[in-house]
Amino acid sequence: TEEEATPVDISMTTSERVVDLLNQAALISTDEKLTVLKQVQELIINKDPSLLDNFLDEMIAFQTDKSIEIRKFVIGFIEEACKRDNELLLRLIANLNMLLKDEGVNVVKKAILTLTQLYKVTLQWFAPKRLSERQEACWDLVTQMKGDVLALLDSENDGVRTHAIKFTESLIVTLSPRTPDSDIPKRQESDISLDKVPKDHSYIRYGWRWNKLLKFMIHPAISSINTTVLGSLATVARQRPMFMSEVVQAYETLHANLPPTLAKSQVSSVRKNLKLHLVSVLKHPCSLEFQGQISTLLLDLGMPQSEITRSTPAPRKPRKRPR
Amino acid sequence: MPSHPLRVAVVCSSNQNRSMEAHNILSKRGFDVRSFGTGTHVKLPGPTPDKPNVYDFKTTYVQMYNDLVRKDKELYTQNGILHMLDRNKRIKSKPERFQNCKDRFDLVVTCEERVYDQVVEDLNSREQETLQPVHVINVDIQDNHEEATLGAFLICELCQCIEHTEDMENEIEELLQEFEEKSNRPFLHTVCFY
Repeated sequence: TEEEATPVDISMTTSERVVDLLNQAALISTDEKLTVLKQVQELIINKDPSLLDNFLDEMIAFQTDKSIEIRKFVIGFIEEACKRDNELLLRLIANLNMLLKDEGVNVVKKAILTLTQLYKVTLQWFAPKRLSERQEACWDLVTQMKGDVLALLDSENDGVRTHAIKFTESLIVTLSPRTPDSDIPKRQESDISLDKVPKDHSYIRYGWRWNKLLKFMIHPAISSINTTVLGSLATVARQRPMFMSEVVQAYETLHANLPPTLAKSQVSSVRKNLKLHLVSVLKHPCSLEFQGQISTLLLDLGMPQSEITRSTPAPRKPRKRPR
Repeated sequence: MPSHPLRVAVVCSSNQNRSMEAHNILSKRGFDVRSFGTGTHVKLPGPTPDKPNVYDFKTTYVQMYNDLVRKDKELYTQNGILHMLDRNKRIKSKPERFQNCKDRFDLVVTCEERVYDQVVEDLNSREQETLQPVHVINVDIQDNHEEATLGAFLICELCQCIEHTEDMENEIEELLQEFEEKSNRPFLHTVCFY
């Protein structure tokens, strides 16, 4: 068992224990190594974060391990470490960049997921600041990595493309302003969005073209059968209703342009998906203007009118005037 | 090969017959598997079709077994329900509801379209956190003992093929197409995100 492999000496300090675990990790099989490294992560990130800086290099050294699982672990460690101490972004973002170019496709996918999180963390950290030279370099690298992942929207690999779509979804939400109509999931309430970045920020440029991002995301999806984009569009429409017009249009285009090569069951899956996400857009109070278009699509997808009506929100009462 | 063992969930309506049969076979073949139902209640056949035995998800398989022995031991022996409950209690103590489970899977296999819809709707209604993908596949299986056995073997074969892909996400669509042709059943498939 785990306890036999790594006996706990209660007289050891946390630091000594970390040294001991790292020494063990150098000599053991992948599965055991993963267990030991997870223990180290727990000790230096949660139990005693003052040790994090000390053992960072030792942990990051495992990013060249031959095991995919260990390299993926290192990515997770980078994410946790940077969330614990934002300052570490300056050191670790370059490591994440290397892992984003890993030869293992599962490592690349994990790196995309982590960049999705760390993009927000970096922007949140830098938004209220005048950036130092090192911080500027860090933001430049993050921006470059963003471009690299957007290029993966065209990837031949379905899984990579799926991850790139989810990254773009999060990017569109982050780089556009939150409005009173935005439907924000609880967990994302404190997330950064464009409205929290000062317009006159010394380094971060404000002029993002969200529409372009949206088109960027939809375009490759039409030529493939990757249905991830259907859900991403709904998320964007609900969280940023100002894009609802583009989103509904995209649904119409996708619906009319399903690749003719799809098998019957694939068409059923896509249509089901389309229905589910159209209903979630329809339920948003801002759908009023688009209810005609959405209903037509839903009827076409075989949803009974009564069910459509049930999912349609009542027109909003005008907001009470402030007294 | 995927880098970690595939975490599989098999889901039917009541977590009694189809999902448990598959759970049994998959765990014997060494899969990291759990099973669930999506119904609001657990339903077992009763003396007539309009009088099913209805339990909540807190009731253990042993309690159901004892209840049915008390009600009509001969009937429930003869229609195989007691035998099924006896098998189930060796696998786990009670049925579990998919919507109440916050654990994460790589693959969720459902046993009928309605269950697939409920699983996909539930996964989409959850707040996204890590954006880790989970593939949901529906394999239609009629709810009787023979079909459950055949269906469980099909699910098992499917999981084995998926586990042996070099790159699951990139190959799954093609693999499902092959399986459809081989088994002559349509599969629904989508990806959701945690």
